[in-house]
Amino acid sequence: MTSSTRPILEVAGLTRLHGPGCPRCVAATGPAAGSNVCPHCGTVVACADVDLTLMRGEVLGVMGESGSGKSSLVRLLYGDDVPTRGAITFHDGDTPLDLLALNARQARRLRNRAFGIVHQNPHLGLNFRVSAGGNIAERLLMGGEMRFGRIRERAMELLTRCEVPAARMDELPGRFSGGMQQRVQIARALATDPPLLYLDEVTTGLDVSVQATILDLILELQHQLGVSMIAVTHDLGVIRMLASRTIVMKTGRVVESGLTDQILEDPQHAYTQQLVAAAL
Amino acid sequence: MNASASSPPARRSAGYAFGFLDDRAKRELRRSMLKAVCLPGYQVPYSSREMPIGRGFGTGGLQLTLALVGPADTVKIIDQGSDDSVNAVNLRQFIELTCPGVRTTATTQAASLIQTRHRIPETPLAADQILVLQVPYPDPLVVVEPSEERRKTMHGEADYSRLWVKLYEEMVHFDEITISHRYPTRIAGHYVIDPSPIPRWDVPKLHQAECLYLFGAGREKKLYAVPPHTDAVPLTFDDVPFRVEDFTDPATGARHACVRCGATDSFLDEFMDDTGRRIHQCSDADHCRQRLAAGSHVVEAA
Repeated sequence: MTSSTRPILEVAGLTRLHGPGCPRCVAATGPAAGSNVCPHCGTVVACADVDLTLMRGEVLGVMGESGSGKSSLVRLLYGDDVPTRGAITFHDGDTPLDLLALNARQARRLRNRAFGIVHQNPHLGLNFRVSAGGNIAERLLMGGEMRFGRIRERAMELLTRCEVPAARMDELPGRFSGGMQQRVQIARALATDPPLLYLDEVTTGLDVSVQATILDLILELQHQLGVSMIAVTHDLGVIRMLASRTIVMKTGRVVESGLTDQILEDPQHAYTQQLVAAAL
Repeated sequence: MNASASSPPARRSAGYAFGFLDDRAKRELRRSMLKAVCLPGYQVPYSSREMPIGRGFGTGGLQLTLALVGPADTVKIIDQGSDDSVNAVNLRQFIELTCPGVRTTATTQAASLIQTRHRIPETPLAADQILVLQVPYPDPLVVVEPSEERRKTMHGEADYSRLWVKLYEEMVHFDEITISHRYPTRIAGHYVIDPSPIPRWDVPKLHQAECLYLFGAGREKKLYAVPPHTDAVPLTFDDVPFRVEDFTDPATGARHACVRCGATDSFLDEFMDDTGRRIHQCSDADHCRQRLAAGSHVVEAA
């Protein structure tokens, strides 16, 4: 991997509570308690005290069962949700930016330019009422590209790179197969050359051969473009193939983190051991 | 209102207060209009009153007109360019009934206050004139975003990329932008407005104008303004220029002319005459009339 020693994203103490919240919420929930619902006030602790650092060009895997807070974490990082506590620092080139201190317009502009996201469900990431090319055009327009000819060229280039036939760029995504919809999502996410990409269960629900080609595509793009990625999945195969480092989440906490090989070969936490054993 | 005792008898005609609306309603409308002028293109909410005409027949424009009009004003009402169509006649009679002392006219230059539907006069308006447009749908984003809450955020952040995506799709499917009226127009570099159902022909008249344009949507309870000397730029791509309607006759290659006054520089309505022949005529009836009065005539022989 081409990861460097310079961080692109630093997260400290990220916590998101859904509910009234009380001083005992965090202490009374978590892996030890086996629940993320506070017994005192009923607050749902989506994630608590998450620390992580993503280096430039690195792929970080986020692994965990359903409800462990993986997607909540991505929503917070991408700016779809606001954390209750914690700090997110994004290094925009050499400028560290406190994402939570930006106003709505600044945050949206940064997100359009610097972040891409690929959802598990293409309906979340694509507008099915406009063509595949139009979906890519939207990202380019958000990034300030106002030349029609240039938008067409760039959309065609991106779709070709993501192995969607350029002849089909003016068709609606609803007429594509699931794998192709995922490729269009990836093309859209990459439209503005973002340095940071979030992959939220990108291969879940696709058949195995399509999964393999999508993962190939992501790896290839990662090698060519050096994009930093956070890949959320419950599929150990995806983690093994993509991620150099991995964190394991359970009931909203990070229970283990380290090199992917180490975690998969020699899991330390009882939950990780169970997860790895269950996959084999 | 306490003014009833001191009002001169002339102002009590038909049993209504001058201008039909009560003073508090007028004050609220004027405040909202001032706010709209201060924030060009911003849709100011206001408490649209029940009027004795149906919503959708120009209640928004009428309320603005009634809040602005004073006894010294001369009012002109236009419907689709004409002073004599049903909507225009009804509104003009209503103003004559409820605003004693106010004169009405069909001549664009003679009016201090013009209320219009679907057209902006061909004659450029002056600094002492106000044009009030009747608006059915004030929000240009409604075609791409159903939630008003999200639309407000999008307006606030000047996030109009989805409107451009719509233009992109039109370019892809038709090789040109096919919006014929209500062309989304960016005001003073921020808010995009729906300029009411005026044809594209009229959109450039909003840009750096001498007069004040006010837009009133009665049903949707919103009003907005394009003040004088303000930029009004129709949305388009850098490499796709904005175009107005083209009246070139594909058969002859020449531009269609008005059958009455022979004008080749006005917005034309196309229709069939009694013999089934396609003819074109100025949409702005007053413009056509003034040209005829000044001696213009049709040069071509039928």
